[in-house]
Amino acid sequence: MEIGYIELEGIRLRDDPARDDCFLVVRRDTEMHEYDRDSEAGARETVHRHMSNEITSLDIAAQMLVEFPETPWELRMELARQAWDEARHVAVLHRRLVEMGGYKGEFPIATLEWSITCSLDTIAARLATQNRTFEAGAMDVVKSLARGFSGIGDEETSAVLDGILADEIQHVRFANRWIKRLAEQDRRVLMKVAMAVRFIAEVNSRFAAQDGEVNAVGRTLQDHTKTIPAVNIEDRKLAGFSDEEVEEILRQAGFRSLVPDEPQTGVAP
Amino acid sequence: MNVRDRADAIGTFRFIEVHLMETIARWTPITPQMELKVMFGRHIYDHAQHADWLGKRTFELRQPEHYTRQATPDYLQLLDRMRVSPDVAERLTLLYDVVIPGLMARYERYLAETDRLLDAPSVLVIERILPELKRQVADSLALRDELQIGASDATAMRAREMGIHSVVSA
Repeated sequence: MEIGYIELEGIRLRDDPARDDCFLVVRRDTEMHEYDRDSEAGARETVHRHMSNEITSLDIAAQMLVEFPETPWELRMELARQAWDEARHVAVLHRRLVEMGGYKGEFPIATLEWSITCSLDTIAARLATQNRTFEAGAMDVVKSLARGFSGIGDEETSAVLDGILADEIQHVRFANRWIKRLAEQDRRVLMKVAMAVRFIAEVNSRFAAQDGEVNAVGRTLQDHTKTIPAVNIEDRKLAGFSDEEVEEILRQAGFRSLVPDEPQTGVAP
Repeated sequence: MNVRDRADAIGTFRFIEVHLMETIARWTPITPQMELKVMFGRHIYDHAQHADWLGKRTFELRQPEHYTRQATPDYLQLLDRMRVSPDVAERLTLLYDVVIPGLMARYERYLAETDRLLDAPSVLVIERILPELKRQVADSLALRDELQIGASDATAMRAREMGIHSVVSA
């Protein structure tokens, strides 16, 4: 059994991976149940959403092992390790969700990251998309969330997210290293990576929320380009982003950054 | 067993471990149950590590690092048949009730046949692998019980597996 392709909004994407019947799988931001995060439902939805994203990351890493058998063994080992890491993240977030009074399938989920990444036909493009873009972006989001949970006194969720973040750094770091190595061997890899980045932007423009749209629980959403999270400079540098790359990401985020945990705390303006 | 025989056996075990890693990886996105995906993630890395340990050992036996030798055609057909199993229950039954117990028996046979002193580095690797395979079988049993996934009839596949004397090609 293979997962095929579908055409959505005029774009060829990979069809959805399998999910438990209890999950409602949606495609657009407006169909998600994003609440204000300081509510109990909002906190549970955040944990549920990240649990779902980790399931998707596990599926993507596994699929790379399947579809690119000629990949150097050292990279396959990294992907296999990533599969285990993502599996642990699913389990720990599920444990936390239950502790918070939630349950699997409580909120809608999306698997668009799978549909985008697994429609690309080279390992470099998939690493650039899943690891270097989505997971690196998650490093920014998760750092902010960990601080947010800590700020409202939920140290347990904060600690879970921080532990996950440490693992994600390695997933982004090995992708950065291998993209560079593969590009040194074949310059066409850079073209594939650039095309992948453009593809992500194109899909996002079709599926992400637009200014003023109201989501399924009545929250008014902003255009996705206005909700870019503050940049987690410290972890992005650990993950192998160069100063120039961090500068460019900062520019896209309106120069909002998260300062390191020590010795300071809090969010920089 | 001489050095070449040992290298060929270890290289064949490596082939099987990589095949199992790829099989479980293939099943991960097409399996709905979250709990099974979580188990698969762990087992993917188990088999990758086993392949890595075995591949490093082949270099010490006058072969390239990660020397890999395709298993006999009848065993490969068995693995391929398992890989394309149509439903979750059959996949779990064939992997955790037939193929992995059979592989454990093959590793045990290697330990019984090799010179445990002369070939101690291979013994060390296999003695690290065996408890992990045993844990995988236990993981699978516990999860199938929790998720109420029954066993499929594996009589024919079990007989087929047991009928393959050696997995090492001539």
